[in-house]
Amino acid sequence: MSESGTHDTVLDTGAEQLGKTYARALLAAAQNAGVVEEVIGQLDQLVDEYLAGSPQLGAAFASPRVDEAEKVRVIDRIFAEEFHPILVKFLKVMAGRDRLGYVKAVRDAADDIHDEMLGRIVASVRTAVPLDDAMRSQITDQLGSLMSKQVRLRESVDPDLIGGIVIKVGDRVFDSSVANRLNKMARRTRDGFSSRILSQFGSFTSE
Amino acid sequence: MKFSSDEIASVLQQEIEQFDSKIDVREVGTVLEVGDGIARVYGLSGVMAGEMVEFPNGAIGLAFNLEENSVGVIILGDYLTIEEGDEVKSLGTLLSVPAGDAVVGRVLDPLGNPLDGKGPVQTDVTRPVEIIATGVAERQPVSEPMQTGIKAIDAMTPIGRGQRELIIGDRKTGKTAIAIDAIINQKGKDVKCFYVAVGQKDSSVAGVIDALERNGAMEYTTVIVAGASAPAPMQYVAPYAGTAMAEHFMFNGGHALVVYDDLSKQATAYRQMSLLMRRPPGREAYPGDVFYCHSRLLERSAKLSDALGGGSITSLPIIETLEGEVSAYIPTNVISITDGQIYLQPDLFFAGIRPAMNAGISVSRVGGAAQVKAMKKVAGGLRLDLAAFRALEAFAQLGTDLDAATQAQLDRGYRMVELLKQPQYQPRSVTDQVLSLYAGTKGFIDDVPVKAVPQWEVDFLQFAHDKHGEMVQLLEEAQDLTDEVVEKLEACINEFKSGYKPVESDT
Repeated sequence: MSESGTHDTVLDTGAEQLGKTYARALLAAAQNAGVVEEVIGQLDQLVDEYLAGSPQLGAAFASPRVDEAEKVRVIDRIFAEEFHPILVKFLKVMAGRDRLGYVKAVRDAADDIHDEMLGRIVASVRTAVPLDDAMRSQITDQLGSLMSKQVRLRESVDPDLIGGIVIKVGDRVFDSSVANRLNKMARRTRDGFSSRILSQFGSFTSE
Repeated sequence: MKFSSDEIASVLQQEIEQFDSKIDVREVGTVLEVGDGIARVYGLSGVMAGEMVEFPNGAIGLAFNLEENSVGVIILGDYLTIEEGDEVKSLGTLLSVPAGDAVVGRVLDPLGNPLDGKGPVQTDVTRPVEIIATGVAERQPVSEPMQTGIKAIDAMTPIGRGQRELIIGDRKTGKTAIAIDAIINQKGKDVKCFYVAVGQKDSSVAGVIDALERNGAMEYTTVIVAGASAPAPMQYVAPYAGTAMAEHFMFNGGHALVVYDDLSKQATAYRQMSLLMRRPPGREAYPGDVFYCHSRLLERSAKLSDALGGGSITSLPIIETLEGEVSAYIPTNVISITDGQIYLQPDLFFAGIRPAMNAGISVSRVGGAAQVKAMKKVAGGLRLDLAAFRALEAFAQLGTDLDAATQAQLDRGYRMVELLKQPQYQPRSVTDQVLSLYAGTKGFIDDVPVKAVPQWEVDFLQFAHDKHGEMVQLLEEAQDLTDEVVEKLEACINEFKSGYKPVESDT
């Protein structure tokens, strides 16, 4: 489960484009070898654990001052044992083209392409309390039948919602949280009340 | 006076009971960057161009640029409290403003929020800010006069209801004064007026509102203000918002007069937004569609066909030129869009000829059809005569000896120029204008000293109203110089002249 979702607000269109191209190549290679799930899992692990856990590694990957041979040596030493050979080769190719700094963009694009290939959509679900399995399957089923797609949930917990659930699919948000309903009720009541005051001020006062 | 808390509580209870909560479905995006009145938003993949979006601080935005990976939004409101990462919600509607009788007499911002401290605008009537102008079949030619009350304009460049007449000139040449006089002159004529202040100093707008109030014109006028300190997007939409409010009256068979003061500042605001949105700059760094920005606005001024009620919007756009440069980009654009222009010149203004209209290059392309018959008779040829006088005057300065005919033409010219001067905030009824212009063009004031002409005119009009009320009445009803009116009018002038000694004023 990821942290309460704040969006990545740096948009580098160049990186996005580049990530898409490399991701397509990687997935095609992995598909030929029949190891798509494994490679994507390992790519996630690389980004979420290794790179997130060690900023030095990220800096070394991105730095143009570390030469290609050095990068390849690092990749071999750290990842050769653990990762699938296709992914290791892919990283070396990226190193050779001086694109290792874009591993995260590749991961994001690969996730999207993979979901698209499987006809799957990702729904971010925010709730006030953690979901249990019954709820989870209910949400997945309901959303799946509504969108006629397979649904992958990305859950997060946000106590500020007070209760209820907020589901985000793509750019569309389905909000039935208690906090949002209270806000709406407050606004509606305030508007209605002020128009009543203006239209029938006399009935609120007595001489 | 006491508030009854039971009553208040019961109303609140009703409101809460009536509240039905449906799941809130909305399309969202995230703010990538914000500043200078614009924001770039990631997401909002289904948003349409011109659609309204809402920021968490309640500010409204408009989807302005739809790009491959992001949406450029112009922010109509406070953009200083919007942060990177904020959620932006699309509202699925177009920007609209309150309209109807509730906006009359108010001072509003371009979104219809009150700026005069008189409480919110209470109305159910709203109109979209951007609509496509009415088509050919829904219009009819301009035929009714829109009197500005200014002699020089009503005689030489008459304006009709549904016309667009540009007021153009350098700074401080009396552009706004003409527009304000035109508004003041609509008193009792059932014309709703809209003064749209774009990029003006708040102090000058306050001055305009004060002048309108003192002359009793605020009763039928709405002032829409996007001052110099308002963000560029507000200045950009203000003229469209004012037009939308006026359209409500036009489509209900009424008449409206809209003053855009001024469109060069709106073009500047639009240029700022476009450059920030990285649209390619063109001539004078204005974007390629700045012509369309003005043409679609002014095209909404129209005279509707009788089938649609015959309502009209007359517009008086104002353009400020730099050093008399009318061939700059924006002035040429707006000159080509409008149905004529009133050109104001600084040297005339400082020579004391106010309004400082240059009769030679000011024109009205359609207003002639809307002039009343009486005015047509006295003013026909006046414009050309004045232009000829200006040429002659320049020639006469060379000190050559002039024959008697030329000298007479010069003398007439000096007096007509004097007669066409008019103080601010004193619009004249069309009857009064005809009376004075008749006296001038028929040579009745050729023997009055030039400096005495203004006072002569005032006293003459007073005399005509006091002593020859039925002649004035007759002219007012006929709106034409019939033989009967002419006879009585000449008798009146001769009677006045026989008992009047011209007083020379210093001005």
